Amino acid sequence: MAELKVLFKDIDVPGIERLEVYEQHGGYSALRKALGMTRQQVIDEVKASGLRGRGGAGFPAWIKWNGIPKDESQPHYVQCNADEGEPGTFKDRELMLRHPHQLIEGIIIAGYAILSKVGYIYIRGEYTEPARVMRRAIDEAYRAGYLGKNILGSGVDFDLYIHMGAGSYECGEESAMMSSIMGERGQPRLKFPHAPLPTIAGLWNCPTLINNVETLSCVPAIIRNGGAWYASMGTEKSTGTKIFSVSGHVNKPGNYEVEMGTPLMELLELAGGVKGKLKAVIPGGSSVPILPAEKCDVNLDYESLQSAGTMLGSGGFMVLNDTVCIVKFMRRTAAFYAHESCGKCTPCREGTRWMVKIFDRILAGGGRMEDIDLLLDICDQIDGRSYCGLGDAAAWPIRASIQHYRHEYEYYIKHGRSMVEVEGKAVA
Amino acid sequence: MAQEELVTIEINGIELQVPKGEMIIESAKRIGVDIPFFCYHPRLGKGQAANCRMCLVEAGTKQPDGSVRMMPKPQTSCTLPASQGLVVFTDTVAIQKARRGILEFLLINHPLDCPICDRGGECPLQNNTLFYGPAVSRFIEEKRHLPKAFPLSDYVVLDRERCIHCARCTRFSQEISGDAQLEFLKRGADMMVSTFQDTEFTSRFSGNTIELCPVGALTSRAYRFRARPWDMKSQKSICTRCSNGCNIWLDYRPNRLVRVLGRENEAVNEEWTCDRGKFGHEYISSDRRLLSPLIRRDGKFVTASWVEAYHLIASHLRQAVAEHGAQSVGAIGGAHLSNEEAYLLQKLMRVAVGTNNIDHRLERNQVAGGDTLLARLGVPFTQNAIADIERAKTLFILGADLVDEQPIVFLRARKAWFRFGANVIIAHPEVTETELRFDEPVILRYREGTEKTLIHGLLYLVLQSGKAVTSALPSEELQSLQASLSAYTPSRVSQETGVAESVLRETADLLGEGTLVLCAGRVRNHPEYAELVGALVNLTLLTGNGARENGGLNILLPEVNSHGAADMGVLPDMLPGYVRVSDTTARQRMEKLWETALPAEPGLNTQAMLESAAEGHLQVLYVVGEDIAHKYHDPDLARRALENAGFVVVQDLFLTETAQYADVVLPAASVAEKEGTFTNTERRVQRFWKAFNAPSPEVKPDLNIFAELAVYLGKPLPVFSAEQLMEEIGQAFPAYAHCCYDQLPPEGVRWQTTSLGEEE
Amino acid sequence: MSEAIRLSEYPRLRRLDEKQPPELRFSERAVQELEHIKRHYPNKRAALLPALWIAQREYGGYLPPEALMEVAYRLGTSYAVVEGVATFYTMYNKRPVGRVMLEVCTNLTCSICGGYEILRHLEEKLGIKVGETTPDGQFTLVEVECLNDCGNAPVMQVGNRYFGRLTPEKVDALLEELKNSDAHTVVQLADTIVQCHLMESERQDIERALAKAQAMNEEQDG
Ligand SMILES: Cc1cc2nc3c(=O)[nH]c(=O)nc-3n(C[C@H](O)[C@H](O)[C@H](O)COP(=O)(O)O)c2cc1C
Ligand code: SF4
Ligand code: FES
Repeated sequence: MAELKVLFKDIDVPGIERLEVYEQHGGYSALRKALGMTRQQVIDEVKASGLRGRGGAGFPAWIKWNGIPKDESQPHYVQCNADEGEPGTFKDRELMLRHPHQLIEGIIIAGYAILSKVGYIYIRGEYTEPARVMRRAIDEAYRAGYLGKNILGSGVDFDLYIHMGAGSYECGEESAMMSSIMGERGQPRLKFPHAPLPTIAGLWNCPTLINNVETLSCVPAIIRNGGAWYASMGTEKSTGTKIFSVSGHVNKPGNYEVEMGTPLMELLELAGGVKGKLKAVIPGGSSVPILPAEKCDVNLDYESLQSAGTMLGSGGFMVLNDTVCIVKFMRRTAAFYAHESCGKCTPCREGTRWMVKIFDRILAGGGRMEDIDLLLDICDQIDGRSYCGLGDAAAWPIRASIQHYRHEYEYYIKHGRSMVEVEGKAVA
Repeated sequence: MAQEELVTIEINGIELQVPKGEMIIESAKRIGVDIPFFCYHPRLGKGQAANCRMCLVEAGTKQPDGSVRMMPKPQTSCTLPASQGLVVFTDTVAIQKARRGILEFLLINHPLDCPICDRGGECPLQNNTLFYGPAVSRFIEEKRHLPKAFPLSDYVVLDRERCIHCARCTRFSQEISGDAQLEFLKRGADMMVSTFQDTEFTSRFSGNTIELCPVGALTSRAYRFRARPWDMKSQKSICTRCSNGCNIWLDYRPNRLVRVLGRENEAVNEEWTCDRGKFGHEYISSDRRLLSPLIRRDGKFVTASWVEAYHLIASHLRQAVAEHGAQSVGAIGGAHLSNEEAYLLQKLMRVAVGTNNIDHRLERNQVAGGDTLLARLGVPFTQNAIADIERAKTLFILGADLVDEQPIVFLRARKAWFRFGANVIIAHPEVTETELRFDEPVILRYREGTEKTLIHGLLYLVLQSGKAVTSALPSEELQSLQASLSAYTPSRVSQETGVAESVLRETADLLGEGTLVLCAGRVRNHPEYAELVGALVNLTLLTGNGARENGGLNILLPEVNSHGAADMGVLPDMLPGYVRVSDTTARQRMEKLWETALPAEPGLNTQAMLESAAEGHLQVLYVVGEDIAHKYHDPDLARRALENAGFVVVQDLFLTETAQYADVVLPAASVAEKEGTFTNTERRVQRFWKAFNAPSPEVKPDLNIFAELAVYLGKPLPVFSAEQLMEEIGQAFPAYAHCCYDQLPPEGVRWQTTSLGEEE
Repeated sequence: MSEAIRLSEYPRLRRLDEKQPPELRFSERAVQELEHIKRHYPNKRAALLPALWIAQREYGGYLPPEALMEVAYRLGTSYAVVEGVATFYTMYNKRPVGRVMLEVCTNLTCSICGGYEILRHLEEKLGIKVGETTPDGQFTLVEVECLNDCGNAPVMQVGNRYFGRLTPEKVDALLEELKNSDAHTVVQLADTIVQCHLMESERQDIERALAKAQAMNEEQDG
């Protein structure tokens, strides 16, 4: 079983991050092609491809593209989400670090399709290495006339700016990211139906297209080879390929691009197999429910993982072997969300912190059996009650961990120490 | 205004029609369904709202086939707009659980120190917990600890442990008052509200945040531990600290004022107050109030009975009139009296004493009441209502620091810009707090005293631009104006005023229909007042704002009843209703009403009275409710006048510096201890009610004092009540005919200037 | 009235005069950079995050109150709003830090791949606890959330660079290297981020303008 490389097709070409090499491998031919098409034709290709958002939500890309008003009464913006903060995910990092022009080309095409003249790449502050590569690549693109005024003599203008974050996971959430770009605290904004969709009123209340790095990186290939070609890969509802960032207890951690619907176990093999005995995987980043080993006989696509009780999420594929103490691991997860909660809404702000305090008490040997159900109830009280997905994302993993590993919690509470440690192989 | 579209929605099975886009939390009120909330506030933008999550409801939409598709998650009703076919459930089991959850979350870090919390008894957190909260908390961990009772300013105390992060105060300071002095620091559970680096909270509107706070996190330093809400009574009143006429509640315990709260009046202050108003009424319950009349005996004040005092005053008045004529008597004051009292004061002087020596103005400019505006725009001072400011296209703030001088007018001006995107032009010689409250307004930093040149310069450009509404001026006037303006070229004006030509042009471009000019002290007291106002009137007319709602000229006034005093004829040259004393027919009308002859020649204005007193000509000087020795624009003159006047009567709440010079001091009741009406700077006549008794039975409302004094002068002016007097005022000044108490609506009425036209 | 609720314990708060512009310390370069970055957005307030990065560089690696005031003044917003933003994001240092920051990830993958061991090792090696700075002001040790390079766990960020697959030995070597190099410092990180915002043409404009200014100064001098 091998990888199926679309985004990574040329990633191992030496110097592909440089413009001339990228051009030698067909770089920016998609942009030329797109400029020759009508805007609607471009959008229709994306529709035909069935491309879905790779940032986590899996929302069909073309619907957003098509939702942008077709007139220019207001400025339109492209907002590329390069904040990659989902624990366990590092695909956008590699896409920017090693294949910057592919992303830039995708962004320009998107800009053309939605009548936008300005785009922002929001790169998290920690990602200075990818940011510098992007900087150099963008400057190259300007020099070559792919960016700026009158792109390739087409009369189309497009400026692309880098906006760096400064340390906040929440800013990966699209509306919080808008706040952050507009110079505010990184807190989310009202969502539909409480406010218009970003495609109608996003940045500075103007139509804004928000897509993830991987999503936009798919665009050049789709335009070049046609939506049908892309849709021919993967499953019916989950088309194309997906990059999984495999980390944890595997022999060859790293990013692997596979066809949607690939069996989970095959991905594990690609990553060199599990170190030690597989205990569980978290297939879509820290926010998705944990998947115990016995349930790992599942395919990697949105629907299959859904029905397996978890989610594809961002493709942050974390592998845990049997040395991992679930209680400690989940305490670390809870601590992450408590640290990253923006503090805007009550359930997320108070609930996440409360859960950490309970975990700490349990780990300190002061646990009570009722704490387990208390944790579950707090999860219920956070889930779906808060402004953005962070609250939900804080609840799901904990809830799932209790569903699958209640006995480990009970053991810890009864004996004041980890079941795994007793077996003498705890790592976390 | 286009009338709003209605949509049909369903709340808990009840169908109702509401305006499209109305927030469901509001729609629910219409059918008496209570939805608990904390962070929601109708006057705060919803952009930053919906953070407390207390107002969650279940919602769905009716499908064509009649079925209902429910949204997967509960929705915050405070931000959920009503749309056709929306179906809402506010009290399902799920929602009840959610509410318990939210309240449990809010309480885990709340100190629950209700026994020593000033909010206790009127606390949304207490109330919502009572009705929707969990019976017990399952939180056994350590609560957060933060400094308690942290004094942010002389007015506001902050208790961060009590804060529930609803963001009402921060939103107020950023959206309404605009100083943005309150903001959240940090994030998540560490988030806390703060001023920059814990520096002083200097906002002029800080008091409002106390009322907005749904818990006891922001409390009033003045009200601290003074009462429990249920120990207090409230009375409707009007703020006396400036001419804006904010509606307020006086909260009091037996005969003592405890605190002041904002009272809703959409037309005036919406629901806000400035800090001067909110914290500036302590004087009412001060221990230094005068408690009985005082008479000076060999240099010292001794308490006296009213009978003695009246006899003494009356005898001096009679003697003065007999020996030196009525011109030797004068009265100063009225801007702090109610309309009824002001009316009676001038009637007392004109009818019982027989002089026109009466004036309420203490500022330098004492040219006849609102002359130019009256003649050319048909209004005494202000063309627009405060609420009109919202609709203005361009605000031109000339020589005024509104934040300081006209706080509530400022809030409207800011709303016009923040909510409705009005352009803002600020002309002032110095940096003002006001200009800091707008993002990059056009700033005209002119040289002190060059206002007239500046306006002429703008007129020049407006005429040049060709957009001027020349038809607004009679052709010969227009020609002479154009001639006189030819000298005011941009370059010259720029030289004289110090304002860059480009800025002058930018400003001129913004002027046009919907330009609303706001002026205050600097213009009122300008050395060239008449010419300056003349120029402003020309600007108003030529920009087509002669008779507009969303544009016009407004010269805002200083004191709570400056406008009313002028309306009531507390002016040496005008009878009630801006009727010239020299106008025979009009005077005769008044003589008929008052059944007596009236002096025909104008009296002395304040300045003239004081000068004549200083020279020892004035036999009796009657000062009512004004500390002229301290507040008159030329205090030395005032002091010399008080020293050299034959006999000085001072009527006030306190033994002021002025009172120190008096031969007789009369103790007057405060606004809380009497009833009446004030007329604010936009001509709005508003009622205030008696809250409690004066500190002593010897303290009388000014109305009674004037009436009784008249009796001692042998010219009784029978009055039984302020209400009855208002009816007489209505006859004297028809514009006030609609102000009889039984007709006066809760929000008051702006009296119609049309009746003025008839007079001329 | 209980102790806790007496007001007297607190000194009177300092009063700031908004009308008084704060002291401005941005270098000519910084001013130029900010001017260019402002043009990336429809309003200047949006330049707040980059402006804070510039300030963090200009003020030597952290944001003292004066820095926040300068930024607020230059962008025409209130001091409180700027402080609110600065304290929201973890990468803006609100307190002085060491010359170099060692930011060790202990998030999920790292936590099971030895992130904590690396953290403990550094604590011993440097003789400080997490969050502290070495007495010589060289290093500040911090525990951070996921750096999203989990494939190389355990990972540590040092200034503008990530170091992965760490072992105690690698860490020791790295410390030596860092001690006697001026790479990857806190100030350099801030500068890197600022430069990432600036387009090539803008960077060139800035250099030209600065050169011009310098030439003029020299003329005046000589
Ligand atoms: C708490 C939170 C964090 C998120 N972080 C990221 C992120 O780091 N990167 C990303 O691309 N999307 C992230 N998302 C998803 C974005 O909100 C948004 O759905 C996505 O950027 C849309 O792009 P796509 O349609 O191409 O996936 C996050 C969402 C939530 C609720
Ligand atoms: S946040 Fe809240 S109260 Fe606050 S208002 Fe709504 S949800 Fe409603
Ligand atoms: S968990 Fe450490 S880098 Fe991802």
